[in-house]
Amino acid sequence: MIVEYGHETKRTDVLVIGGGIGGLTAAVSIKERAPELDVLIVEKQTAGYSGKANKGGGVLQYFDLNRIKPEEFVEYHVKAIGSYLGDQELLAKYVSMNNFMLDKLIEWGAKLPKNADGTYNAIPTGPMTAMIGVDLDITLKMRRTAERIGVQIIDKVAVSDLLTADGTIAGATGYSILDGTFYVIAAKAVVLATGSQNYRIGSMWSSGRGDGIAAAYRAGAELRNVEFGNFAQLVKVRSHEEVVFGENNMYNRLGEFITKNFRTTPEPDINSNAIREWYLAMTSGTGPVHLEYDEPGGSEGAPLIKIWDRPYGQTFWRLNNERAQAVDTDLEVCPMLIGEQSPVRVEHDMQTTIPGLYAVGDVSYCGSAAPGAVPAPPGRNRGSGILNAVFAGISCADSAVAHCKSSAMPEPDEEQISGSIRRVYAPLERKSGCTAKDVIRKVQSAVGPMENSVYMRADRIDAALQTVLEAKELAKTMKAVDFHDMLACHEAEAMVLSAEMHFRASVMRKESRGWFLREDYPEMDNKNWLKWIVVKNSDGEMKFYTEDVPYKKWPVQPQDV
Amino acid sequence: MIDTKHEIIFRPEQCVGCGLCYKACFVDVIRWDAENRRPIFKYVEDCEHCFYCESVCKKGCIEVRPDYASERLLQSFDNYR
Repeated sequence: MIVEYGHETKRTDVLVIGGGIGGLTAAVSIKERAPELDVLIVEKQTAGYSGKANKGGGVLQYFDLNRIKPEEFVEYHVKAIGSYLGDQELLAKYVSMNNFMLDKLIEWGAKLPKNADGTYNAIPTGPMTAMIGVDLDITLKMRRTAERIGVQIIDKVAVSDLLTADGTIAGATGYSILDGTFYVIAAKAVVLATGSQNYRIGSMWSSGRGDGIAAAYRAGAELRNVEFGNFAQLVKVRSHEEVVFGENNMYNRLGEFITKNFRTTPEPDINSNAIREWYLAMTSGTGPVHLEYDEPGGSEGAPLIKIWDRPYGQTFWRLNNERAQAVDTDLEVCPMLIGEQSPVRVEHDMQTTIPGLYAVGDVSYCGSAAPGAVPAPPGRNRGSGILNAVFAGISCADSAVAHCKSSAMPEPDEEQISGSIRRVYAPLERKSGCTAKDVIRKVQSAVGPMENSVYMRADRIDAALQTVLEAKELAKTMKAVDFHDMLACHEAEAMVLSAEMHFRASVMRKESRGWFLREDYPEMDNKNWLKWIVVKNSDGEMKFYTEDVPYKKWPVQPQDV
Repeated sequence: MIDTKHEIIFRPEQCVGCGLCYKACFVDVIRWDAENRRPIFKYVEDCEHCFYCESVCKKGCIEVRPDYASERLLQSFDNYR
């Protein structure tokens, strides 16, 4: 079978999977520390263009560390956003490194706006935080930096499986989406930077299809906080364009200002109560919901996008806005599931539970536990998406270098390789069957509705899980017509896995906390649920267990325990 | 999203074969005809209308025409299916 599709074997000290901002930062940081190591990025599309950093608002979270102490932000975040479920030490490290990271990005080629006195031109977004605009060529600049210092890059190769040897990482397999060539890449250390799970729903989040999460799961890595993969945002109902901060201006069909029903104090960003409010309006007959602003055409998010001179991203935003405005006849809104499940469990050096396997950026945001009870960026913390990826990419470097230096080049296991080949080409070899989209459609029908995945209740979770399990059966019969389609089949399998984990963990967590919202358990339960839910593939069985959050060792503690 | 009906209009007369549109596509809609140095819009049904291909084309050869109405919002209310 290998001969039929072509076969390439490669060896590298460090293999980075994914060429978005997280993977590029990791590759550059490792190469800077140890230029003698071979660093290879493998990207299923084109490194520098892929990922999400170049498709969003292009904002970086900024902390004025002369004014705000990291521990002050941590206290605010733990209480207002993370709801005591986060690793406070790691979050404090992220805040402390803010200025260092911004300076590094400039060194790596990004242009960040500064004032005449040399300080950053930052726009306040709350009492503690501000945002700095960065042009959307940030990932391209990083790619050029990576290539200049000797990082190798292979585009259009999708990684399928992680290889291990005696429980330690040994490399990965993959295939060209252009001609199907099978790749076996032996590596001493592997950095997973494949993004979150977004189920192919929101357009700009569509690169996050969970294939890296699934590969880590299959290899036996622990996943944590899978139930926090249900971010949703208000969008205009015709163009589906996201309305950042739209939740502040929600009105029902009767003209009543319904934001006041769920927002009693200023909050940093949308929370799941806004989604519940929309759902209640729709089910009680007072929907649809629309936005109203004091100024005609106003929206609070838009000025942030437009305020900086960012020539590269300007065309991108102009086209997005123009085409959307052509169909948006009013400001009716509804929520859209974004997802952002990011559960690969990592320690502070971004190492997973498999030695030598690291996970950075949106693949491990919740898995790191830094944010607590909230989905991956934007998860109520605007501007933290790019910077979290940069933080994680930098944070893995010392450990990855040390791991390489103390390891011999592993010999990939032939049995694992054969298994991967069978798995990869199975949809292509099948004579007939359903399409990848048949499976994806079913998964989307389970995760998409707000009452299934955001405003949850036991009976609805169970019904959604049954739909996902039907999709799981259907996925065994997928037929691919070419390599593009084969990739879609593997992504569909990853979506099934993510959705199954999400619903199984969600039914376990019998409380509401942070973004996580249950109709049948509306209160936060610190007595029973200061716990992380961890999931692991144990000889093919999906095993869940809980682990007490070690909150006693951190400064901010709940009062009612 | 899936099951969409977006269109991509390509006007090859001005194309200089730079390949940026191919590189910019993050969902493999665009393939590259190396011999003729031209993009092939092979999987338009998977287009996410990010407009990157159109944005990076310095010659204005590409126009993405989103069909927003074909996108499903997956909510349980008739208007939003």
